Amino acid sequence: MAGKITQLMDESAAKSPWLYHINTGSCNGCDIELVACLTPRYDAERFGFKLAGSPRHADIVVVSGPVTSQSKERLIRTLAQVPEPKCVVSIGSCPRSGNVFKGSYSVEGPLEKYVHVDVSVAGCTPKPEAIMEGLYRAAQILTEKRKAMHK
Amino acid sequence: MIQHFPVLAVMLLFLAAFQVEIFGSKNAQVRNSITFAATTISLLMILALIKPVMIDGQIISYWMGNWSPVGGYAIGIGYEVDALSLFFALLVSATFWLSAVYSFGYMEKDHHLGHYYTLFLMLSASVLGLTLTGDIFNMFVMIEVMTFASVALTAFRNNNEGALEAAFKYLVIGSMGSSFTLTGIALLYGKCHTLNMAQLSSILSGDLSGSTMMALGLIIAGFGIKSYIVPFHTPAADAYTAAPTSISMVFSGMVNKAGVYGMIRVAYIIFRAMDKSALQTILVLFGAVTMFVGVTMALTQHEFKRLLAFHSISQIGYVITAVSLGSALGLTGGLFHAMNHTLFKGLLFLTAGAVLTKTGTTNLDKLGGLSKKMPVTTVCFLVGAGAISGLPPFNGFASKWIMYQAMYTKAVESHNFLYAVVVITALVVSVMTLASFIKVTQAVFFGQLRPEYEDVTEVSMSMKIPMVTMAVLCVFCGVFYNLINRVFLYPASSAALNCVNYIDRMMGEGYAENAGVANIETAPVEFSYWNPIVWLVLFGIIFCAVAIVILKGFADRGPILESNSSTDAKYDTFFSGEQELFSQVGGSDLFWGFKKNWGGYYRIMGALHSGIVTDYTTMAVIGTAIIVLALFVFMR
Amino acid sequence: MTIIFTIIKSIFYSLVFPGLLFTAAAGLLLAGIDRKVIARMQKRIGPPIRQPLFDFLKLMGKETIVPRRANRLVFLGAPVVNLISLALIMLFIPVLGFTAFSGSADLIVILYLITISGVALIVGGSSSGSPYAGIGISREMVTMMSYELPFVMILLAVAKKAGGAAGMTFSMDAITAFQRANGSFLFTWSMIPAAIAFLLVIPAEVGMQPFDVAEAETEICEGPLIEYSGAALGLFKLGTAMKMLIMTGLFTALFLGGVSTGMIGLDIILFVIICIVLTVLCMTTVHAVTARLKIEHLFKFFWTFVAGLALVSLVLVWCGL
Repeated sequence: MAGKITQLMDESAAKSPWLYHINTGSCNGCDIELVACLTPRYDAERFGFKLAGSPRHADIVVVSGPVTSQSKERLIRTLAQVPEPKCVVSIGSCPRSGNVFKGSYSVEGPLEKYVHVDVSVAGCTPKPEAIMEGLYRAAQILTEKRKAMHK
Repeated sequence: MIQHFPVLAVMLLFLAAFQVEIFGSKNAQVRNSITFAATTISLLMILALIKPVMIDGQIISYWMGNWSPVGGYAIGIGYEVDALSLFFALLVSATFWLSAVYSFGYMEKDHHLGHYYTLFLMLSASVLGLTLTGDIFNMFVMIEVMTFASVALTAFRNNNEGALEAAFKYLVIGSMGSSFTLTGIALLYGKCHTLNMAQLSSILSGDLSGSTMMALGLIIAGFGIKSYIVPFHTPAADAYTAAPTSISMVFSGMVNKAGVYGMIRVAYIIFRAMDKSALQTILVLFGAVTMFVGVTMALTQHEFKRLLAFHSISQIGYVITAVSLGSALGLTGGLFHAMNHTLFKGLLFLTAGAVLTKTGTTNLDKLGGLSKKMPVTTVCFLVGAGAISGLPPFNGFASKWIMYQAMYTKAVESHNFLYAVVVITALVVSVMTLASFIKVTQAVFFGQLRPEYEDVTEVSMSMKIPMVTMAVLCVFCGVFYNLINRVFLYPASSAALNCVNYIDRMMGEGYAENAGVANIETAPVEFSYWNPIVWLVLFGIIFCAVAIVILKGFADRGPILESNSSTDAKYDTFFSGEQELFSQVGGSDLFWGFKKNWGGYYRIMGALHSGIVTDYTTMAVIGTAIIVLALFVFMR
Repeated sequence: MTIIFTIIKSIFYSLVFPGLLFTAAAGLLLAGIDRKVIARMQKRIGPPIRQPLFDFLKLMGKETIVPRRANRLVFLGAPVVNLISLALIMLFIPVLGFTAFSGSADLIVILYLITISGVALIVGGSSSGSPYAGIGISREMVTMMSYELPFVMILLAVAKKAGGAAGMTFSMDAITAFQRANGSFLFTWSMIPAAIAFLLVIPAEVGMQPFDVAEAETEICEGPLIEYSGAALGLFKLGTAMKMLIMTGLFTALFLGGVSTGMIGLDIILFVIICIVLTVLCMTTVHAVTARLKIEHLFKFFWTFVAGLALVSLVLVWCGL
């Protein structure tokens, strides 16, 4: 019985991932595309995705934008407040490389320098389909992490 | 032997009051022992009366100097203890005992404590005497002693801002109350040529001519001032705030109960007028206005003790409303609520005092986050707050429930929509009470800890004992209220409704019958509809189930993590990514949306509570005039 | 023998039906249907109906972090008290023809137990020490004050009406029995305003849009729940789902009390169906077409419009209609 419940808990980790979105100096393009995923056309909610208001509720932290020096500390602090198991998904080219902002005095990216990124969706901006796929993969990783937690 | 106890209990306290000043003005040990011994013996004497009076149904009478009635006229001062007197005497003695114990720890840093304990014992003795006496002029003397002791104690910490002002307001309004009562008593004496309450009752025999009506109005107004019903409530808030907390507790626990007792004694027994629907309606309206004004004023307060003071006013409104219904159920509910109010309001004042001793302030804007530093105080406060808001299973719920039942039954039986409005008011006031205690909870105990209170610690044992005792009693009275009802409330309420024995015991067998006084027989009110034990058992079952499911069923559930390291960002409070800052949400301003909606009402209330003594006096006079006029217009 | 039987019966009632298990299962079902229907209303596919169950299980599997500022006992105790008080309410709401326990003045107990569940949320949020939670609890409290006035009036109107010509009753049993004899209150014209008012109170009580000012996730980060994570949050979410069932169930008991098929199995199914219909009617639809109110507008709305409707019923009932 207990084993069954454990298995159910592991499986539900992939079925109800709640998102928390952090913008680290993005141009707002990726943010709009992320929200587009929740619209009737793409409807990410059918996989159980939901935007959460607080990092304490989140499973997947979605990061967009090159990490600016203003947002770096706040990003790290907020990521620390997310309970395990958690996944970090970066959207767009900026968190990967800095994109057009690379070399700016105020950009301290890429994101990998500060945190382990589980899924990275490239593109400037990535299409909602791509974001959806990235999020879906992140959800699968959540189950793995959840399994690793109780072993 | 037992018939000497009531008078001894009072005399002992008066005697000790002077002994404290003579022997204990220099030595704290002597002072505390005298106070403790006197209050404890007095409490024990009152407790010893429970068996004969409450359970065996006796009435104890005692003629001072053995001056028993001559020729059918009472000439001496008589003490007479029936269940109603004893009920209030128990509240009074329990309150002053707990307050005395609390004072030892709470007041130790003050000076001139000899004066303090003298006044404290005088106050205790006078209120106890007021409840036990059978002579209406003796009652007035006790009121005077009570008022002046209260005034002096209000000003005791006269180095604090506002203490003298509060005492002055109390003095003026309190003296008005005393003089109204005295005038009423004088009218009665002129009419009946006696001051003994039992004899007054049989001579008046429910007669309501012009002069007795005037006397009734004035005495009710006088006791209304003592119990701070609106519009006489104005000095209460200042006095409760300025007085030391042990005294605030005494004020709300026994001084305003003395007013309620006086009203019940006068209206039910001396005048036997509570079966008149006009008087019921007038008093119920005053009660309803009192509870509403009290709670709405409390919602906007910035000061812990001042907020509690307004709640005292509001809860007394409940008591007056229920008692004035004139039904056995209403009396039971009202008396029960009076008792519960003594418990939970005393408890809340003690927690306020604990906060004051440890932090030096009771300003809601300057406190916060004390729950981790003072856990016992926090739990006691939550129990008190739950009880005053009427949450089950605390005592406030049981009594409020009985009162709602009584009010709505009354509304339906009399087919008076006014009473339905009163029930709605009572229920909504209950939620508002909860709201203002949520405000205190957030502003004082939860929320963020201010940096300056980093090294606050829990209070001393002498202060903890009364708090924990009262918190336990709050739960006990809520759960075993049927026991309380059987032992205390039923005898007390039937004593208020039936005065034949009261008269006979004092004036001799058959006196009442000759005067044509008859009992109103009431069946004991039994409450089978709220069975807290069943609920607690069900609560326990579900609690166990939830606990087992969470612990065993979800064996691999996520761990519960806690850390006290001040660097780990994981345990920070979420500030949108910012570093943890001190940004307390001002507790006193928690309900700004509500206040905005009620702007007009609060402007009027602000204008009425101007702080000017002449305004308050005017309000008191107008209030008295309304009571007297309403009696003359509607009682005919 | 009878005592043992009574004990077993009470344990069964409190844990399985109509207590904890039934309330939780049916509540999660209602929450799932609510999410599915609102998705369909917005032309989305929407999550599966089991989605709230997945949410709950996932939250049970996550870490529960007690923030440094929080008082551990209060912070973790609040969700449990919330859940238990809600499970207790359900014991006193008749499931059409079936009542587990009944007293003679249940209405006031139910009123205060619903308040307890609100207080648990408030105290829990308050103990977390977050300023967002501070604003959240203030809004939650004002919301409670707002709907309390109409709620009380509705209960009094029902109590008077069910008491017959010259009486009143706070007993759930008596209210159901009266309706069985004289027809449901929903079809008594003098009670219709009260029924409408109750339908408007339900979303505020549950905390649904447009009355979710307390948990506005976009402005104050879910208010009182902000610092909750893992199992504690899961219990609160379960509590919200249970509250949906309780409020719709209370409506069924108060206004459709006479309905019963006589068979307990059918009754349960019918009860759940009625609750689903009510959920869709008064929560999902309203949620789909409205935006969040401001707190002062919410207060005004309840103390004027909704309270007015309830007052109309109360006065009509008082006139013997």
